[in-house]
Amino acid sequence: MPHIEPVDASEVRDPELRELIRRGEALGVPDALLPRILARVPEYAKALLRALIVSHAEGSVDHRLKEIIRVQLARTAGDPYFAGLRSVPAAQAGLDEDRIAAGARKFEDDPRFSAAEKWALRYAREMYLNPEKIDAAFYAEGKRHYTEAQIMELGAFIAFHYGMQAFTRTLGLGR
Amino acid sequence: MALNPDRIDAAFYAELRRHYSEEEIVELGAFIGFNIGYHTFFGTLKFYPMFSPDGRLVGQEESARIYGAAPTSLSVAAK
Repeated sequence: MPHIEPVDASEVRDPELRELIRRGEALGVPDALLPRILARVPEYAKALLRALIVSHAEGSVDHRLKEIIRVQLARTAGDPYFAGLRSVPAAQAGLDEDRIAAGARKFEDDPRFSAAEKWALRYAREMYLNPEKIDAAFYAEGKRHYTEAQIMELGAFIAFHYGMQAFTRTLGLGR
Repeated sequence: MALNPDRIDAAFYAELRRHYSEEEIVELGAFIGFNIGYHTFFGTLKFYPMFSPDGRLVGQEESARIYGAAPTSLSVAAK
């Protein structure tokens, strides 16, 4: 049982919020549980859900790579809710559980990941475990693989999802 | 939440409810989570405030000298 009870689906009457919940369910991340908890503060719910969905599913960085990063972050944050969710479009595009799991292990030695993907996976891992390692040299390496816009897209995605996972972990979701 | 998330359990939430409504707890939790994520990200980008504590528009080098590598309060930096 979550520490904050979700509102009943019938109580969510804001059409924009209902549409965002629908989009999350279609994406697979988040399912309807977190949105119905956030829906206690509808304006927050709309802003947060929009940011979660846009940062994950839109932009120019491969959605499958973001999905691997998202699960890696959820495991780092110790959040079983987000760690247990999966993107439907990423799976439809061929992302499987082996590759998702590999992204949270010793991916540096894994030939299935490109140099660009390894940099992005390191970016996510080090941002919360060893942020002092993300220095000018680290960003210079990132710019060999990604545009500055893509690095901002990745950084904002990582920061936002990690922050929300830190919050949802405390709510007792997915336990 | 940022340092010891295991301490935020059912008893912690029960104590919160003595002070805040469920709506306010969700608002606080989302706000804190958002800030945990973004402050660490922003910290890696190495940028500093555009204005000095006394309101002058300053360049990033001067701002870095004022605010330093570690966060400081404006009241301390203004002295």
